[in-house]
Amino acid sequence: MSEDMNLSVNGQSRVPPGFRFHPTEEELLHYYLTKKVASEKIDLDVIRDVDLNKLEPWDIQEKCKIGSTPQNDWYFFSHKDKKYPTGTRTNRATAAGFWKATGRDKVIYSSFRRIGMRKTLVFYKGRAPHGQKSDWIMHEYRLDETTHDTSANSLAGVDSVTEEGWVVCRVFKKKNYNKALESPQCSSTSADIRTQLRHMSTTDGVLDQILHYMGRSCKQEITQTINTNIDTAMLYLPSINATIDTLQDRFTHLPRLEHNNDSPFNQDNSTAFPEQGSGGSCSDTNPRDGLSDWVALDRLVASQLNGQDDTSKHLYPDDDFCFSVDHEDAQVSNLRSNRSQPSQAYGSEIDLWSFVQRSPSSSSSDPLGHLSV
Amino acid sequence: MGDKNFNLPPGFRFYPTDEELVVHFLQRKAALLPCHPDVIPDLDLYPCDPWELDGKAMAEGNRWYFYSRKTQNRVTGNGYWKPLGADEPIFTSGSKEVGTKQYYVFYVGEESAGVKTNWVMQEYRLSDSGSSSSTRSSRRRGNPKVDYSKWVLCRVYESEEDDDNGPELSCLDEVFMSLDDLDEVSFPN
Repeated sequence: MSEDMNLSVNGQSRVPPGFRFHPTEEELLHYYLTKKVASEKIDLDVIRDVDLNKLEPWDIQEKCKIGSTPQNDWYFFSHKDKKYPTGTRTNRATAAGFWKATGRDKVIYSSFRRIGMRKTLVFYKGRAPHGQKSDWIMHEYRLDETTHDTSANSLAGVDSVTEEGWVVCRVFKKKNYNKALESPQCSSTSADIRTQLRHMSTTDGVLDQILHYMGRSCKQEITQTINTNIDTAMLYLPSINATIDTLQDRFTHLPRLEHNNDSPFNQDNSTAFPEQGSGGSCSDTNPRDGLSDWVALDRLVASQLNGQDDTSKHLYPDDDFCFSVDHEDAQVSNLRSNRSQPSQAYGSEIDLWSFVQRSPSSSSSDPLGHLSV
Repeated sequence: MGDKNFNLPPGFRFYPTDEELVVHFLQRKAALLPCHPDVIPDLDLYPCDPWELDGKAMAEGNRWYFYSRKTQNRVTGNGYWKPLGADEPIFTSGSKEVGTKQYYVFYVGEESAGVKTNWVMQEYRLSDSGSSSSTRSSRRRGNPKVDYSKWVLCRVYESEEDDDNGPELSCLDEVFMSLDDLDEVSFPN
């Protein structure tokens, strides 16, 4: 039994070929972090303890590797240190930089019950406030203090106050689709096929590019618009997930700068724009000619955010650019029917779902209510 | 597939690399060696519609794995698989070509007049050079009758579920990160 505690025996990995550590958020919190907080033994030493202040993100992959198989993400337990003895802020600085929290914390549910929170952090090289943003991202999961009296305490039987410093973290590098496609390691065929398949699917990579362009062209407006839209969005909670998917869907089909327009998927407009008929949103603009490059998209976004929706009228008859709720009926059923297992969608789940599962009154009147302290 | 996790703790899932599929599974299958772990079923030439695979093929998340006999006939009960793009070579970490991967897209309806779906199949085959090392090992085991061309290994998924590249940021995370770049819009922390 004692050998079960080690990932490798005599240099041989105990993880069979083909298997990877891909825990769900629920598994991370409910199984691993709960056991850690309760000081229970965990089979196989898959998640190490790490002193985050002494480990740079690029050293984490060596320290936290599981077996000898290639990994895209790394997991560890960390004990949160207070930055100042009396304060509540956490010190996440390393020798080379610091981890900076971004966005709002996401509530993690297990069977509709709130079990914990997820904080997203970005690593900056250098010292605040002049750090240089890197591609290293950390999701830091902590158990929900409100659940300690139920699940955690009954399982753990410990005083939650003394142990609340443990968190479980997942570190990964933000993907950059352009780099991946241009990488010499990708053969031209495989890159081409992936591009084609990506046109069939929804990904976050294109949104990354859109945001990049939005940020370049209209700094102030985007801040206001997005904040406004998020507030608006909270009133339309049930449809947001579907609508964001739709938004992504539309942009996913825009040609990429380096993309070859001769690919079979671009010629096949009926497939690339499935909502063309039902929504009527693209009816008077040929998607290939109307948005042939990113300059056009740039203009579209800029005009939309400045309130001059002349260009966008053609593409988005509804004024609400970011979180419009029109067309929802036609698309929700389509999108939902493809989502057979909600638990599999963790990675791409939209954070706003956390509001959906709260009570409607608290989410609309108190949108910042569940921010971490 | 109840015992597929071999008493591994929670969180371990079957997410094989291309190389693992070819070297650990397809080569051993072709060489009639026992596969460890023996998790991928052999559906022979059973013409499954992709949505019929559940319960027959090995399921992990929204991906299904199975062995099949090599065939040119990829017509199923309600549609057919149509090739997409060219063969893609599979290399080991030592840059040796061991197999190829061919993409297929599922169409519902009569052949050549079907409607495209977002079901995708990757079909892995052994390449000739890739089989030579297995030939040696099987010869050592006194089993000269090995037909490397007989088997393929298939992975089927719906293309929007193809997120096998690890975790990603959510849409909203990206928005917030982008806001950080602009004006230090910070929320109480």
